This record gives sequence, C-alpha cells and structure tokens, in this order.
Amino acid sequence: MIEFTIQLVQVLLLITGCLFFAIGTLGLFRFRDTLSRIHALTKVDNLGLGFLVIALLPQVASPTVGLKVLLIWMVALAASATSAHLVARAVVSEQRGTEGGEGPDA
Amino acid sequence: MQTIKTALLRTLSLFIVWWALTEGDSSGAVFGAVVSLLVALVSIRLFPPGTYAVRPGSYRLRILGVLSFTGHFVGNSVIAGVDVARRLLLPRLPVDPGSLTLTTRLPEGSPRWLLANALSLMPGTLSVNLIDDQLELHCLDQRMPVTAFVRQTEARIAAMYGITPPDDSGAQS
Amino acid sequence: MTLLLNTVAAFLLLTLMIALVRIWLGPDPADRMLASQLFGTTGVALMLVLAEAQAMPALRDVALVLAMLSVLAIAGFVTRVVRIDRSPADD
Repeated sequence: MIEFTIQLVQVLLLITGCLFFAIGTLGLFRFRDTLSRIHALTKVDNLGLGFLVIALLPQVASPTVGLKVLLIWMVALAASATSAHLVARAVVSEQRGTEGGEGPDA
Repeated sequence: MQTIKTALLRTLSLFIVWWALTEGDSSGAVFGAVVSLLVALVSIRLFPPGTYAVRPGSYRLRILGVLSFTGHFVGNSVIAGVDVARRLLLPRLPVDPGSLTLTTRLPEGSPRWLLANALSLMPGTLSVNLIDDQLELHCLDQRMPVTAFVRQTEARIAAMYGITPPDDSGAQS
Repeated sequence: MTLLLNTVAAFLLLTLMIALVRIWLGPDPADRMLASQLFGTTGVALMLVLAEAQAMPALRDVALVLAMLSVLAIAGFVTRVVRIDRSPADD
C-alpha cells in the first residue's frame, strides 16, 4: 500500500515536471523580448527540474546517490541563476551600447 | 585556533561532497580524504576565515537564519515558477515588463550576490546589473509589489549572515 | 516505472528540440546564448532521468558537467563577445 502511494506520487511529480518544462519552452515562443524569455527559462525550468529530482529520489540505489542528485540539483540552480544574470546583463549593455543613453523598457 | 577549526570544518564538508560524488565507493575514500584536506588548506590561503566580514571576524552563518532563508527561497521559487507558468497559459499573456533600480543595504561580497542570484529565481524579478550597491532588476509585471519583496528577502539574508539589519527603514525609497 | 522514465526522457528531448528551433531563429546573439542555459536545466534533467531509466550511473556525472559547463560557456560569451566588463559610463 505504502509502496503504491509512493509510486503514485512519483508518477504525478514526473508528469508535473514535464508540464513545467513544456511551459518553459512555450515561454520562449510567447514572450516577445529576450529578458522576459529569461524569466520563463530560469523560473519555470528550474521548478520542472525540482519536481523531476524529487520524483527520482525514492528510485535511487543508495542514500549517497540521492545526496549526489541533490548536489547536482543545487549546482544546476546556482548555474541557472548565474547564467540568467549574465545573459540579462549582456542584453542590457548591448541595448545601451547601440542606442546610447537609456535603453527601451522592454 | 579559529583557523584550525575552519580548516577541519571545510575538510569535512569537502569530503562529504567527495563521498556523494563517488556514490559512496570506498576504494577512493583515502585519496578523497587527502584531496579534501589539501583543497581546504588552499581555500584557507585564498579565503581566510571571515573574508566577507562586515567587521573582520564577526561573520558567521547562523543556522536558524540559513533554515529561514532556505524556506523563504524554496517557497518563493515554487510561487515564481507557477506564477510565470500561469501567465504563459493565459491567452492574453498578462505581463507588463519594466526595469527598476534599488539601493541594496547589504554589505559588499557574497551577501549582495546571494541577493541578486536569489531574486532571479523568485517571483517577477530578474537581476540585470549590480554595480556597487545599485541593483537593477527586470520586472515581469510592474504591478507586483517588487520593492517590498526585495526588502523582505534582504532582511532574511542579513539575518542569515548575522548582519544587524539597518534601522533606517523609512529613509530608503 | 522504467517505461515511464523512458517516456519522460523522450518528452524532455522533444521540448529541448523545440526550444532549439526558437534559439536557432535568434535573432540576437544573447537570444542564442539561452541555448546554453537550456542545456544547463533541461539537459541536466534529461541526464538524471536517463541515468535511472538506463541504469547508467555515469550519466549523473554528465549531468554535473553539463550544469557547470553551461555557466562557463555563458561567462565566456558575455566577457568576450558582448563585453559586459566595460562600464556603462565609458561611452
């Protein structure tokens, strides 16, 4: 019974994770400007990754593997936040460089 | 004394990381222990204890503060993901992007960068630029109460690093 | 469960490919650099799921390397191509 419940939760988490990844990709198409696209890519995809990681945890062979998966998750979170900041900074400095003075708001 | 304590703590943390990365394989444990110790020694040389101190030597992570910030961060990054997803799924795409520049009250170094990076994963904000204490944010929706939220996150980070929160809360715009 | 994990992996690969079409359309170099961030999240998720589905623990190391390289690629891009190290007051 408990095993069945865990499996059910795992399946739900996997599906939710996939949905978020799909929505993240949708964001790349629906948002008009690069900065908004970064919002979609960073927040939505990271949530998708979180759901998948939690779904995988009961599945792993040993606690150390679980710890490793959590470690990879944290590295991916930090990497994604840093990437988002760097690309956003590049976009804004590009806008200001070509137009001079204040860049447009969007 | 403080240095030895920090070195041991760092060696232990690095060894736990090694242990996780090798998936608990015992054949590499001795090698891993030596590497952890050497890396900890190098890190002491590069980043002596208290590098990011507000007053030298006073900086230490507060366990309760770390837990409280982690909770705040996890909760809000879930809200952030759901919020962007919800906006994307609505046919009229309710966004009103704009930028906002704030003056952060956190000291230079890791507290400031933690704020900038954490805000990128939180609802409606994306940190674009950080020059000295000027933090430029891109907001997905300008109607959201961004400033209040940034102040709240700032306070949590200050508590985590054991920085006394500035009391001039009314003086900032 | 293995079948489901394989389906999840295939689905992730599909979203990754659709996203790459968007990246290919560009038009800005910064838009294209988002591909690197995409591999840093979707790629990592794909590798972690495949590591379980195919029982290949080595793929977890691939995931870790992908996450780290994605940020290095972007750091290289922003300092060499766009030159964000230039302060905005210069010009």
